[in-house]
Amino acid sequence: MTTKALGAVIAAMAVLVGGLAAQAQGPIRIGASLSLTGTYAKLGRNQHEGYKLCEKDLNATGGLLGRKVEFVVYDDQSTPATAVRLYEKLITEDMVDGVMGPYSSPVTEASANVTEKYKKVMVAPLAATTSIFKRPPDKKRYYVFMVISPAEVYLEGLIDMAAKRGLKTVAVVNEDTLFSKAAAAGAVDIAKKKGMQVVFQEAYPKGNTDFAALLTKVKSLNPDVVAAATYFDDAVALTRQMRELDVSPKAYGVTVGGDLPEFYDTLKANAEYVYGATQWEHVLPYPGNHEFFGAYKKEFGHEPSYHSAAGYAGCLIYAEAVKRAGTLDADRVREQLLKLEMRTVFGDYKVDQDGFQVAHRMVTFQWQEGKKVVVWPDEMAPAKPRFPTPPWNQR
Amino acid sequence: MNVFVTPAMLAQVVVSGILSGALYAMVALGLALIFGVMRIINVAHGPLLMLGAYTTYFLYSALGLNPYLTVPVSMLALFAVGVLLERTLVFRVVDAPELSSLLLTFGISIALVNLAQLLFTSDLRSVEYLTGSWVVGPVALSKPRLVAFVFAGALTGLAFLFLRRTKLGKAIRATSQSREVAMVCGIDVQRIHLITFGLAAALAAAGGALIAMIVAIQPEMGQTWTFKSFLVIVLGGAGNYPGALLGGILLGLIEQVASLFLTTQLSEVVAYVLLVVVLLVRPTGLLGGRET
Repeated sequence: MTTKALGAVIAAMAVLVGGLAAQAQGPIRIGASLSLTGTYAKLGRNQHEGYKLCEKDLNATGGLLGRKVEFVVYDDQSTPATAVRLYEKLITEDMVDGVMGPYSSPVTEASANVTEKYKKVMVAPLAATTSIFKRPPDKKRYYVFMVISPAEVYLEGLIDMAAKRGLKTVAVVNEDTLFSKAAAAGAVDIAKKKGMQVVFQEAYPKGNTDFAALLTKVKSLNPDVVAAATYFDDAVALTRQMRELDVSPKAYGVTVGGDLPEFYDTLKANAEYVYGATQWEHVLPYPGNHEFFGAYKKEFGHEPSYHSAAGYAGCLIYAEAVKRAGTLDADRVREQLLKLEMRTVFGDYKVDQDGFQVAHRMVTFQWQEGKKVVVWPDEMAPAKPRFPTPPWNQR
Repeated sequence: MNVFVTPAMLAQVVVSGILSGALYAMVALGLALIFGVMRIINVAHGPLLMLGAYTTYFLYSALGLNPYLTVPVSMLALFAVGVLLERTLVFRVVDAPELSSLLLTFGISIALVNLAQLLFTSDLRSVEYLTGSWVVGPVALSKPRLVAFVFAGALTGLAFLFLRRTKLGKAIRATSQSREVAMVCGIDVQRIHLITFGLAAALAAAGGALIAMIVAIQPEMGQTWTFKSFLVIVLGGAGNYPGALLGGILLGLIEQVASLFLTTQLSEVVAYVLLVVVLLVRPTGLLGGRET
């Protein structure tokens, strides 16, 4: 804690000194508020490390517009209200040259109001909620840009694989929160489009860990596919209780939580065959991905998560747009960001007129012998899914 | 998308409801004890349960102890924590207005959760020991939940025996009925408060230890249990100990049966609507409040 406080003080002093000495050739300062403590601390810190590595790489290759790049980062303690205050401060007091997005959808949603007000371009690398970008015309946001895939397509891989293999019926369950609801609604849409029948859909409250009644209903309908829009606790509890109640669909997938190593550590053999979705894996054949993985591990002593990669890529995307615009002017950078098509370590970037991500692809993996094996989409998948999932008593 | 409910499905959820109900009852009994004896609403009950879960986790992962053997150890450890909390903090608010005790235990609750985040981090942990189920006819009995049910039943039974039969238990009940008369009869009320708080923390710890084998362990796992325990003791009658048992089983059944016929989301609505109805129609709880 003390080192962090010290860091903040030093950062603040650096900002002050930097502000006083602000000359045309001083560094380009990019401000961001990140969840360095609180609920999202672990993920927010990974994103921060992504920014830091990007800063280092940019400076190693001559900086931006001939100037060095310097991140000014504050801790919003995972709360949207604090982030709002911090972006105000970054823009009005610290007078940063540009901003980058915070961690999570709720914090981005709140912060975007500030960056919009001051007409600052904000590439928001870790906001997956469609409604931040797709808004009614009178409330349109002009300066916020999406990097990761939206919640609605998290279960696309599972449904697509199932449909291609001739499965007909789907049960969709989800936690009743913003992200999971969107993921479930997306899954229902995709299933219908692919001619599958959604035989069951039910939401459960956040924090629910007892699924006996819900799964009893699912079991009575015997669906081919169970698609669950989850976080971690519920993903684990659902999987355990599916085994207990002997619910055996031919394919079963979860959204968030399933990609954490803890998912397998907790469930061990019961996690086998379970499908999960992820924004990024280090094995994916994106340009520079392998090198990014190595450099990150060397720099920070642990493996990057998709939050790290998205943070890194988001920063590079912003830098590329600035380079092409040849200026930090928000409207001209915005123009470039709307036009830009770029492939980074995180995959493809391209947005529509709302700044909504349309090119980045989710990948679906399956737990096979304790490893996450990417099985979808086909062109990026090194392996085939183990299909169909056998009944519990035959595993 | 309506599901046709068969008797087998109903049997399944009734069994599941009773299994989780016993856990609710045991944990809520602790809350009922503190309320009955000290007239304190202990908001920190859930976080104490969380500490019990962590105790089990560390004993299991570091020492390789059988997690079921850790239940008494967790209980002892949290008994000590409970006694410590009572001696240093809680005793100060026993006779204070109700708001003081609420604020204090709320503070303790926040402190415990944040301490756990600091010491144990927010990483999710689990005790994967017993998985799968035993199938009896149309009903699947979850192994960890069934064992937890047996433990909870036994511990609740022991707690009742202790309250009914032992001298100390009688002293606790006497204090709960009237502190002044108990004091006049020569009961050391301070000591009774200390033991009650420790006992309640131990019951929460037992719940935590058993839940650790069912769901993921993390610093914020306790709060929902505080709410559920409240619900249970209000349903059963605050300060009425057998009421906690009835309330617990009832809550387990309501949650499951309502989830079956309605949705999992609405089951919470049903439980809390029932809470309001009970408060309106029978404010002393289904079995009546504490004896006066």
